[in-house]
Amino acid sequence: MTTHRIPSRGRIDHARPVRFSFDGTTIEGRAGDTVASALLANGMHLMGRSFKYHRPRGVVTAGSEEPNALIGTRRGPGRFEPNTRATVQEIYEGLTTESQNKWPSLKFDVGAVNDRMAMLFSAGFYYKTFMWPKSFWDRVYEPIIRASAGLGKSPSEVDPDTYASRYLHCDVLVIGAGAAGIAAALQAGRSGAKTVLVDEGSEPGGGLLSEPSLEIEDQPAWDWLAGALGELRSMKNVRLMSRSTAIGYYHQNMIGLCEKLTDHLDRLPDGAPRERMWRGRAGQVVLAQGALERPLVFDGNDRPGVMLAGAAQTYLNRYGVSVGHRAVVATSHDSAWYTAFDLADAGVTVAAILDTRNDVAPDLLEAAKSRGIETLTGYTVTGTKGRLRVYSVRVNKVGNGKVGPARSLACDVLLMCGGWTPSLHLFSHTKGSLHWDETAEVFLPGHKAEACHIAGAGRGLWGMAAALNDGATAGAEAARAAGFTSQPASYSLAQDRAGRGVTHKELPTDLDPGKAKAFIDFQNDVTAKDIRLAVREGMRSIEHVKRYTTNGMATDQGKMSNMNGLTIAADAIGKPAPKVGLTTFRPPYTPTTFGAFAGYHRGGQFEVTRKTPIDAWAEENGAVFEPVALWRRAWYFPKAGENMHAAVARECTATRASLGIFDASTLGKIEITGPDAVEFLNRMYTNPWTKLATSRCRYGLLLGEDGYIRDDGVIGRLTSDKFHVTTTTGGAARVLNMMEDYLQTEWPDLKVWLTSTTEQWATIAVNGPNARNLIAPFVEGQDLSDAAFPHMSVAECTVAGYPARLFRVSFTGELGFEINVPARHGRALWEKLWEAGQTHDICAYGTETMHVLRAEKGFIIVGQDTDGTVTPNDAGLGWAIGKAKPDFVGKRSLARPDLVAKGRKQLVGLLTDDPTVVLEEGSQIVADPNQLKPMKMLGHVTSSYWSATLGRSIAMAVVEGGFDRMGDTLHVPMPGRTLSAKVSGTVFYDPEGGRLKL
Amino acid sequence: MNAQLPIAPAASAGAVTMTLLPAAARFNLRIDPGHLAAASGTFGLALPAVIGEGAQDGIRRALCLGPDEWVLTASEAKRDAIEGAFTALYADLPHSLVEISDREIAVRLEGPDVLTLISVGCPVDVEGFAVGSGARTIFDGVQVVLFRDGPEHFTLEVWRSFAPHVLDLLETARRELAAGL
Repeated sequence: MTTHRIPSRGRIDHARPVRFSFDGTTIEGRAGDTVASALLANGMHLMGRSFKYHRPRGVVTAGSEEPNALIGTRRGPGRFEPNTRATVQEIYEGLTTESQNKWPSLKFDVGAVNDRMAMLFSAGFYYKTFMWPKSFWDRVYEPIIRASAGLGKSPSEVDPDTYASRYLHCDVLVIGAGAAGIAAALQAGRSGAKTVLVDEGSEPGGGLLSEPSLEIEDQPAWDWLAGALGELRSMKNVRLMSRSTAIGYYHQNMIGLCEKLTDHLDRLPDGAPRERMWRGRAGQVVLAQGALERPLVFDGNDRPGVMLAGAAQTYLNRYGVSVGHRAVVATSHDSAWYTAFDLADAGVTVAAILDTRNDVAPDLLEAAKSRGIETLTGYTVTGTKGRLRVYSVRVNKVGNGKVGPARSLACDVLLMCGGWTPSLHLFSHTKGSLHWDETAEVFLPGHKAEACHIAGAGRGLWGMAAALNDGATAGAEAARAAGFTSQPASYSLAQDRAGRGVTHKELPTDLDPGKAKAFIDFQNDVTAKDIRLAVREGMRSIEHVKRYTTNGMATDQGKMSNMNGLTIAADAIGKPAPKVGLTTFRPPYTPTTFGAFAGYHRGGQFEVTRKTPIDAWAEENGAVFEPVALWRRAWYFPKAGENMHAAVARECTATRASLGIFDASTLGKIEITGPDAVEFLNRMYTNPWTKLATSRCRYGLLLGEDGYIRDDGVIGRLTSDKFHVTTTTGGAARVLNMMEDYLQTEWPDLKVWLTSTTEQWATIAVNGPNARNLIAPFVEGQDLSDAAFPHMSVAECTVAGYPARLFRVSFTGELGFEINVPARHGRALWEKLWEAGQTHDICAYGTETMHVLRAEKGFIIVGQDTDGTVTPNDAGLGWAIGKAKPDFVGKRSLARPDLVAKGRKQLVGLLTDDPTVVLEEGSQIVADPNQLKPMKMLGHVTSSYWSATLGRSIAMAVVEGGFDRMGDTLHVPMPGRTLSAKVSGTVFYDPEGGRLKL
Repeated sequence: MNAQLPIAPAASAGAVTMTLLPAAARFNLRIDPGHLAAASGTFGLALPAVIGEGAQDGIRRALCLGPDEWVLTASEAKRDAIEGAFTALYADLPHSLVEISDREIAVRLEGPDVLTLISVGCPVDVEGFAVGSGARTIFDGVQVVLFRDGPEHFTLEVWRSFAPHVLDLLETARRELAAGL
């Protein structure tokens, strides 16, 4: 069945058949084949349908730039990938593949009716056709367009594969393992530089893999290649990476490399990731990306069997496949002549070589003649015939600007070459400038923005001798720039097939150019006349032409289409190409899986989840958790049959009645030490600290420079020079950074040092009338009586034998203590307290109960009751400002006219008229619910809870001029009803604070 | 030591072993670098003056983390003596010595593939670390302190609550190394 295999050619293993399936049919290939080469070996060119017109399409290239042969690949459940390039996917036993964009079958596709209606689908048709009626866009047009557009099917199952990532450091990173890249890597490797050579292909060698007839250093090319690769592999300072695509070139020589590890294996090793993203940092980069062949633009240039000449040469020499039995070559560059010669020498009939140029090198003409190939110079191509495969090509002589009569040539493949485009993708990522080469009519690398060197065809050189020697020069330069010694080697080559060529806009025709389907962007179905239409309709910049026509916007990023699009747009506008400009290349170079970008960050590794030393106890005791910053915290502890409301009500009641225990370990903690510690606190916090006695604590309020509340917490003075500062859970890192920032940039003279101790301590809060009774038996070294250890005290003592910092503070309004012990003892202490607390009906409570209890007391939560626009006065915390202090962060802002103006939003209490209604947090507040919409909104509810203690709902809100509205009724419009509430103070429970004084 | 850590005390599969280290006395020292000699005398080990450089004598270890910052490690038995000595120094040379023994979890990573293992999460070129040096850096976005004890031997210290994330990723990477791809 392998009708097109040439056993004497290729690097594949002709003795090892490999079977896979394509659209349900078993195909036999050879070990080393890609899906494309195996299908071609079986005479199959038709591999897909186009995106817009559903035209039958065959493979065009032999590389990652392939626009047509996009297939779905499957390897068991969950392992489905759409839009895989058949030219890149290596076959393995059992691989399942399918074509895309076809229904019911690849050979008969209903969607191809679009091709007949092509006149309706010209450039910009989306913008023109679906304009009326307007309301249809959302409901009718867009859903239909979305359903019928797109390439391939999205996978719908969870991906069972894993993805990896690593960092990579080297002196010299060489991108592209063709002739230039290998020569560069040899230079760098021999110099002793840590060298990495990467290549996207399955086998290093690049163009050398398609040029076996060369002789390098008196050896056959492939022998030299094997020797060079062997030398590279033998060097300890060199890493050679295949199937690794440099997807992006980022700042300061950071390169993203996506390595495919298992997509070519028939059996997946246990625990192996599918792909690995390398984040490479290179001292020097050598870009040896080569050049991409450019199609010719003529009517019917997309028919299956019409493909790039260079690809045919690769299929022949690398894969041992003849792409057809009777070839016609159409070219504007010498390179395709050599393809024709290789095919003829392998026994394939080459009916004719057509060259658009009149003056072709005599040796080429002679070589063609000696092989019996007809040569047609000064010709154009004006059409092809064949539905699922080309069977003839229409050609015309061009003379004196006139297209002569047509002639038809029978063929089963048409091999085209419109010149070569240097690959500038990665260079463009660096924002290096491009330079237009007038002679070659190509863009070349200009000014460099990174430490990189460009070698070979990537900077417009042609021929293997040029590539090798230029690669050696670039490699030596890179090695020297990295601090090593290197003199470039000089390579001698025989049978080098250097050449030259010209480029074209669409080829001239004797037929109506308005009816020509001369494709530029095969993947997005953009034709030459679409480009001209866009220019006629007013597009002048190539960026506008691109977006109007979608040229170059497919997943191949216009690797084949950009230059042809630009040439034609420039011609239509009447300006030279560099004046019209080139669109920007963006990473990734080729389509890259989401998995490779996500790496390890999925499931449990998706993001850091910080847990306290007591978290495991909470989990064992049925806690429901909530995320707070990166932490997960116990939210509430439901008993059997309890919902959240019931659990929280029980926890609140139990704490106020007797005793509650709470894990406060997540509180941020900063130890501030030094002779200037008190001065530093005076400057950072609004409160005065000088007179705070040792062993006492104070509530501290931290503002930004703008005067708005940033954080708060209790600060305890351990010695005259040492403070234990607490911050909010989410603010810990931010506050430490802010303090360090001021210390290092504003007050470097202060002798004070900051250390984060958040995780040094586990913190257990016990609250309730029995709090002292619980802990007293455990505490040694501190008298706990109210006289000796009053509210807002701190002591260093031991608790249950553990060294502890004991605070008498309360965030609940009840008698309260916070016990800090070294983190390793947190759970043990908790369990001891839990056991001892049973006699007091101890209740473990979570963050929700903590929030309710503090709201009953009117204590704010920074970030919930404040939103970055609330001043201390707005929050009713003016008492916390040290008015006699000369300065503190935010002080000057507090005097700004807008911050002292009347009518600012102020934090007040809200008591609903219906005590059973709990307002929704975030709901808007109005004075008159009957006013016209849009209503004047006075503020919003910041905190709202059911208070089991009070037997009613309570809420806090920021309200314009709230302090002057005490007792007023305000309204909260909600869907279906409007709620009313009276403005109150924020302290709902025990306003005298008597419960603290036990 | 911490039931939530995802590894056995000494896991051995793969080309790197990962061992949780027992508790140690650990301090964060901040002091004017001009007073380095006095601080060295107090600690009982010459403190390195260059960021990234370390010093050790078998009982004590110091790593310079910043222009005026060192992390000091010693066996637990030395804890009170070190704290007492620095307290005595404070009157003459004010500084900050804060105990962080429980803030950190320490893990020993050892084996021929240890550099590759660390490269999974650490953007710094650890191959360039001299034996006996280290750095405060990040691992998968989490702050860690790395110290190179030997050519194939590192100590990684990480804040307690971040340890499960870091160690879980290291364990994943160890399985990856074992898979050989």
